[in-house]
Amino acid sequence: MVELTSSFELEFDALDQDHQKMVDQVNAIIKKIDAGNTDDCKALVADFVALSKRHFAREEALLVSVHYPDVEKHRKHHLDLNDKFDHMLEFAKMAPENDMACESLKKELVYFIMDDVITADLEFKDFLSQT
Amino acid sequence: MKGLLIHGVSHAYGDNKVLDKVAVVVPAGELVCLLGPSGCGKSTLLRLAAGLEVLQEGSIVIDDVTVASNTVHVEPENRHIGFMFQDYALFPHLNVLDNVIFGMVGSAADKARSRAMEMLDQVGMVDQASKHPHTLSGGQQQRVALARALAPEPKLLLLDEPFSGLDTNMRARIREETLGVLKEFGVATLMVTHDPEEAMFMADRIKILGSDGHILQAARPHEIYYHPKHEFVAKMFGLMNRFDSVVVNSQVETPLGSVAAPDMADGIKVQVLIRPEGIVLESHENASGTAVELLSTHLLGHDNIVRVRLASGSSSELYVRVHHAFEPELALGIKATIDSDYAFVFPLDVEEGGSSSLVKAAQ
Ligand SMILES: Nc1ncnc2c1ncn2[C@@H]1O[C@H](COP(=O)(O)OP(=O)(O)O)[C@@H](O)[C@H]1O
Ligand SMILES: [Fe+2]
Ligand SMILES: [Fe+2]
Ligand SMILES: [Mg+2]
Repeated sequence: MVELTSSFELEFDALDQDHQKMVDQVNAIIKKIDAGNTDDCKALVADFVALSKRHFAREEALLVSVHYPDVEKHRKHHLDLNDKFDHMLEFAKMAPENDMACESLKKELVYFIMDDVITADLEFKDFLSQT
Repeated sequence: MKGLLIHGVSHAYGDNKVLDKVAVVVPAGELVCLLGPSGCGKSTLLRLAAGLEVLQEGSIVIDDVTVASNTVHVEPENRHIGFMFQDYALFPHLNVLDNVIFGMVGSAADKARSRAMEMLDQVGMVDQASKHPHTLSGGQQQRVALARALAPEPKLLLLDEPFSGLDTNMRARIREETLGVLKEFGVATLMVTHDPEEAMFMADRIKILGSDGHILQAARPHEIYYHPKHEFVAKMFGLMNRFDSVVVNSQVETPLGSVAAPDMADGIKVQVLIRPEGIVLESHENASGTAVELLSTHLLGHDNIVRVRLASGSSSELYVRVHHAFEPELALGIKATIDSDYAFVFPLDVEEGGSSSLVKAAQ
């Protein structure tokens, strides 16, 4: 299970709330897998991908509105994560038949949310605190 | 979160900026490899995590406790970190057991001793407890160093090119054993290496650090190899074949056939990089593809590297990895095609010239 401890907070409510929702969805998926309930994985992961994409759009719009100087770089970072969505969806599709797909999906989701999404965002935490 | 969180870390030695906003997450029980060329700042990042270097910018958090930031510097001995460096630095005057006990300053002597024996047992060195390091092989010393690093039950283990002092055969075995011990132990491990194969073998996740001190890509080993996001990442794993071309209708033509470039606008100048295993040679009657001529073959053991050239007369050479089923000496009329799983398209730097050539590994 993933826990959003304070070190991972941007201290910017709208984004922290989005991140919390994404973490909740990741935890819901992990819980289902651990309970052996893998049939819903595909739909839950698809929801997670949609949630993530909405968050990226919202975050990019916000960064533009506050004139964050590295907004293009961060947009590119989000764009580069598209491959990972594809892989997650493939794992999720296989999850009911294949235990390794379950394990890889869980791992991929945790690294994605903690490393690729939230930790990458910490780069603009200081900037946001000054606006 | 249990484990390590590093973010926004930049570091310079005088005017030499070596790390630029680096971020890494290592959850408990996971092994993350930081992979990059020599001099890109890998050891610097480990020394910062360890507290051996004072942090200039960013934050380092271990098990939810900030150990370094612009206002905090926790001393190395209070960070509960285990280390294993290249020259595992066992004390020559102490025997194996005392070397392991040495790491457990602060615990009661009898407790430290039994813990040390337990760790030596885990790494298969308990029989050698009374020997001195110089009587041990490199691999055995490595195992003692691992036991010493893990004995105090660190929250985090930092490994800096830990296997580079071992010869090739030993290295493969020791890294497999080390991985087994680490996984059993469940400690968060950040390992740095400049050896891509080592990173692929060991890591749950690889972070590629470029020579400019930026993280270029972070992903599972499989994704790093098959979906490199950056030219530099693609080239890390050895020889690459290269054709320069232009995107037309989201496709790129090469002399060996076309490759998809779905996310690229028409007219962009690109380079197509193809791994040696991504060129498929066939020589049976119905073989399709572009005719190539054999120049030489190099047997590597597990496979061959074959040098070929386009039969059409173009002077550029290609390197092809072939498996046992293909015996180049017996082949006539060889045709080559591209396996698109191993072909990657990257925009060409504007100032760069050249048409097609072989790309040497970054390392
Ligand atoms: N203590 C130091 N003082 C000055 N320059 C240093 C010091 N340590 C490392 N460097 C320089 O910083 C760069 C990164 O070094 P290092 O972190 O050791 O790289 P790596 O471990 O990736 O090979 C190199 O150019 C190196 O020369
Ligand atoms: Fe975000
Ligand atoms: Fe983001
Ligand atoms: Mg180094």
